[in-house]
Amino acid sequence: MTGSQYYGPLLGPEARSHFDEQLSLTRQGLIELGSLVTENLRLAGEAMQENRLDLIPEVRKADLAINERYYELERRTFEILARQQPVAGDLRFLVSATRIVYEQERSGDLAVNCVNMLERLSGFPDLPLLRSLLTQLVDASAHTFQMSVDALESMDPESGVRLDRADNEVDTLVSLFYAEIGKQAETMGLESAIALSRVGRYLERIADHAVNIGEHVTYVVTAEFPKPDHVTPSDRP
Amino acid sequence: MTADADRALIGDTGPETGEPPTPPRFSLDMAARRQAAGTDAAVMFEVDDLNVHYGDFHAVFDVSLDIYERQITSFIGPSGCGKSTMLRCFNRMNDLIEGARVTGRLRYHGTDLYGPGVDPVEVRRRIGMVFQKPNPFPKSIHENIAFGPRITGFKGDVDGLIEDSLRRAALWDEVKDKLAESAYALSGGQQQRLCIARAIATNPDVVLMDEPCSALDPIATLRIEELMQELKETYTIIIVTHNMQQAARVSDRTAFFNVQLNERGQRMGRLVEYAPTGKLFTRPDQRATEDYITGRFG
Repeated sequence: MTGSQYYGPLLGPEARSHFDEQLSLTRQGLIELGSLVTENLRLAGEAMQENRLDLIPEVRKADLAINERYYELERRTFEILARQQPVAGDLRFLVSATRIVYEQERSGDLAVNCVNMLERLSGFPDLPLLRSLLTQLVDASAHTFQMSVDALESMDPESGVRLDRADNEVDTLVSLFYAEIGKQAETMGLESAIALSRVGRYLERIADHAVNIGEHVTYVVTAEFPKPDHVTPSDRP
Repeated sequence: MTADADRALIGDTGPETGEPPTPPRFSLDMAARRQAAGTDAAVMFEVDDLNVHYGDFHAVFDVSLDIYERQITSFIGPSGCGKSTMLRCFNRMNDLIEGARVTGRLRYHGTDLYGPGVDPVEVRRRIGMVFQKPNPFPKSIHENIAFGPRITGFKGDVDGLIEDSLRRAALWDEVKDKLAESAYALSGGQQQRLCIARAIATNPDVVLMDEPCSALDPIATLRIEELMQELKETYTIIIVTHNMQQAARVSDRTAFFNVQLNERGQRMGRLVEYAPTGKLFTRPDQRATEDYITGRFG
């Protein structure tokens, strides 16, 4: 890790201040986009936890803004790649940035998918244990995603490993959530059971995207992805 | 503009013909041209159907483009594509070449640069130039900067002007204790920054750069490129470069020139594509541009 230690564009040498500024703006853009997605995920969570159907249009509208930002950030990153001929840490950062924006945008879509399920059922069934698990799952998923934003802020080389641990908690909660859906399937009916299962799957995927972001941060800083023993093969970015 | 810079390009001492000075003219379609170019920046030069001949040789064919204020515009293209010839049109350096003939129209702030009564010396004061190889005068650092302002009648604080020019050229800290030493004692990169300081000491509003980094090492090159980003806050810059990565890094707009054969089989330079640099290097409109910038130029 010594030779390839990446100190982040904000700490770069002053010899290329114009380029360094572009790198900083890119990182700032990723942090802002990630924050918007986290915020929208929490809004979608609130809609689901409290059956607030009135929030659904808001979630969709916010996602349109997220998509706009995603396209703009991706376009700008391609332009920097084309114009600045980045190498080494700068290259890892910019190529990773094109992947990270994708993970963020996809997570935003999944938040919309969640409220689509809420709309389809005109509100989720009122089953206390199920609701409690859903609340915990939403919180864990949003928390994990927030950690991916923090990783971009800190450029901490341990981000990949840390995110992977947080994801394990989400996976555990999803398993409990599925089990509870199975137990209550007859009470709530097949349609509700399927819709809620899909919500569980979406929230799980959001955490997976967050892990990928954390792993990219590790890669940018250390030039290596986290060791395989920390990561399940299917989650490799 | 300062009162000094306002001094007319068309001097009272001008032409023997006694023709009245041409009033500045702005083309009616300026707003439309700006809109088409996707910029709010003011147009500084309007080039329309410009052709340059050296005797029988048709060097530049029918070039039309606008240069925007306080932007960096780069000219790229293979050898013989006319980019340096084109650059020299902007301060009438081609006048100095025997047999050179410029036709078409090149307007600077609306005034035809090749119009009757335009004083080429005043043109070159306002539109300075930096050359491929650093070419300081064989004098002290101090004298290199003071020379231009002195012959153009500068009456103010020379030492202040020298410091200001050297600071703008990002050279002050390196030379402030040895202003009396020969400019030849400086490194190549420092000499080139001295030439930039010299060019801006006469208070121009345009700096033309003809491959300013081709004689410099990569670090000195990056320093000049950084300096250009600072200079464009004040000056309009046009740069000719063989190094298209440099054009990609530094410029706001890029013009790609190419060599084309005319009906007599002679090579002449032609403007192929002119666009914001980000666009030209990510999605050029012309196949020839793409082939050149991706290194597939046949």
